[in-house]
Amino acid sequence: MSSDRALIEVRNLTVDYVGEHSVARAVNGIDFDIREGEAFGLAGESGCGKSTVAFALARLTRLPGLVSGGQVRLHGEDVLKFDKARLKAYRWNEVSFVFQSAMNALNPVIPVSEQIMDVIETHEPQLGKDGARKRAVELFELVGIPPKRLDDFPHQFSGGMRQRICIAIALALQPKLIIMDEPTTALDVVVQRDIIEQIVELKNRLGFSVLFITHDLGLMIEFCDRIGVMYSGELVEVAPAEAILTDPQHPYTRALGNSFPPLTGPRVRLEGIAGTPPDIRDLPQGCRFSPRCPHAMEVCRTDAPELRFYPEHRSQAACHLLN
Amino acid sequence: MIFLARRLAFYFAAFFLAITFNFLIPRLMPGDPSDRIIASFQGRLNESQVAAIRQSYGLEGSLWEQYLTYVGSVFRLDFGISTVQFPEPTASLLFYGATWTLVLVGLAIALAFTIGSIMGIHAAWNRGGFFDSFFTPINVMMNAFTPAIVALVLFYAFSLQLRWFPLGRAHDPNLMAAFNFQFIGSVLYHATLPVLSIFLVSFGGWHLGMRNVMINLLNDDFVILARAKGLSDNRVKYRYVARNAILPQITSLALSVGYMLGGALVTEQVFNYPGLGKFTFTAIGSRDYSFIQGQLLLLTTAVLVANLLSDIANVILDPRLRKG
Repeated sequence: MSSDRALIEVRNLTVDYVGEHSVARAVNGIDFDIREGEAFGLAGESGCGKSTVAFALARLTRLPGLVSGGQVRLHGEDVLKFDKARLKAYRWNEVSFVFQSAMNALNPVIPVSEQIMDVIETHEPQLGKDGARKRAVELFELVGIPPKRLDDFPHQFSGGMRQRICIAIALALQPKLIIMDEPTTALDVVVQRDIIEQIVELKNRLGFSVLFITHDLGLMIEFCDRIGVMYSGELVEVAPAEAILTDPQHPYTRALGNSFPPLTGPRVRLEGIAGTPPDIRDLPQGCRFSPRCPHAMEVCRTDAPELRFYPEHRSQAACHLLN
Repeated sequence: MIFLARRLAFYFAAFFLAITFNFLIPRLMPGDPSDRIIASFQGRLNESQVAAIRQSYGLEGSLWEQYLTYVGSVFRLDFGISTVQFPEPTASLLFYGATWTLVLVGLAIALAFTIGSIMGIHAAWNRGGFFDSFFTPINVMMNAFTPAIVALVLFYAFSLQLRWFPLGRAHDPNLMAAFNFQFIGSVLYHATLPVLSIFLVSFGGWHLGMRNVMINLLNDDFVILARAKGLSDNRVKYRYVARNAILPQITSLALSVGYMLGGALVTEQVFNYPGLGKFTFTAIGSRDYSFIQGQLLLLTTAVLVANLLSDIANVILDPRLRKG
């Protein structure tokens, strides 16, 4: 499905959280592309900076967060330099968002119809109220919810339906990119599968790109074309999904893959990853993963490895073991 | 609807409990109003005269019989005869005073709630900005004063010294009560300082309450989503954040009514305003039991009604409370 043309190019993106007396670098100069029609996954433990990247892409970073460097280019245009008017057009027309918690992503006290229609009326005022409502009906049909429920309130829907509504809202203006920040984490496994299949189907039909964020590597490998694995604010590996599954290069990617049970096959004892991610205000010398890495060498504790392309593995990885 | 019916049943039970306590408490205390009158005659009354006095206070028969008589008279709005303004019925004094107290408290609550909440919305939206850093501490400090202090200062400065505002009364005594511009103007003029003193000590609470709830909501996913949708700032601020933040404020509003009424009683005394407070102080001074009892019942009822109204408002504003 995906072409080779880049939709979004992230270059040296750096995001800090600014405290009164300290600065914590949550994202440390990362580079990746999201191609047209591609599902790109960002995986990693809680606190590795994956959501921070997503927020920076959508220009949603707010104090104490601060994008302190780098570029996010949309077809060559730097998103981080957009003025107010351009930003308004960028939001939702070009990039939309689906959040983790379907429970909290909708305003509980106004009807769902209003929450779909307001974004249409804001960006396409020429449609008018009737046009916006017609679009809302189509969107409900698209995600498989009876349009007669359009005027219900969020609490009247189940968790899965609410997430479908969020997807319908995300599709309202047919954006080029939908950022999905743990879209299925709050749902049970069966509903998860339905939702993912629906997203795949819609993506194939409508041709948008997806930035998919989760810590569930198994789910991500099934759904994404390419995957970036983040650790402590840096990308440690970027590779096609099947390469991440069959031939992971970075020890962290391997460890993350071993932390989830396979959906089929015999029961195996899960290994997990010993230790916890470092405090980003007090990082270890050299490779950030070295204190938890079972294969760490002398050089790992002194020099930080760089992300390099290894064509034989079709993978970009940042690890001294590969040299 | 089930929710409201349940609340209504609860308030009715609470009202009955209030009546019962209002009946019992004076009777559990040593001495009753008739003792005082009878004692003042220093033994010069015969038995039938004593009985007549006791009967007029509803102190005849068993406790149960007295209770039934009392409940009956409450529902007939018969609170007895005032001893201070003899022979005026207590009920008409109560309702006269309550009307003016309602004017004061109604205006003060409406102003404090509206202005305080709007300031809170603004402070939360630009938190840490100039407006927030300047007004939030000042408004919280204002909230720490008692109505009596503020009322005395305002009365001294604007009524006694500058003579901008009247020294008492609820309206110009030469005007007849009527629904016209002149009379309402006079009422507002007389109410300005009392309302201002209640307002000044209470709007900071609404400011702080609204600000805190808003700030918590600002990090909720649905607010971030609203911003990501590129909606206008005002739409996100009012339709998404403030619309949710107002719900707990309305519950607090009902809870504050009792406190506001208490503040009004003192304020009326300072401004010589003919509300419930002024009558109550006189009644306490001259042991006008029927008035004090009636006034207590009225305040209790006011708090219950305020709570009922806030429940209704919450059902209207919060779809999650509506069954169906």
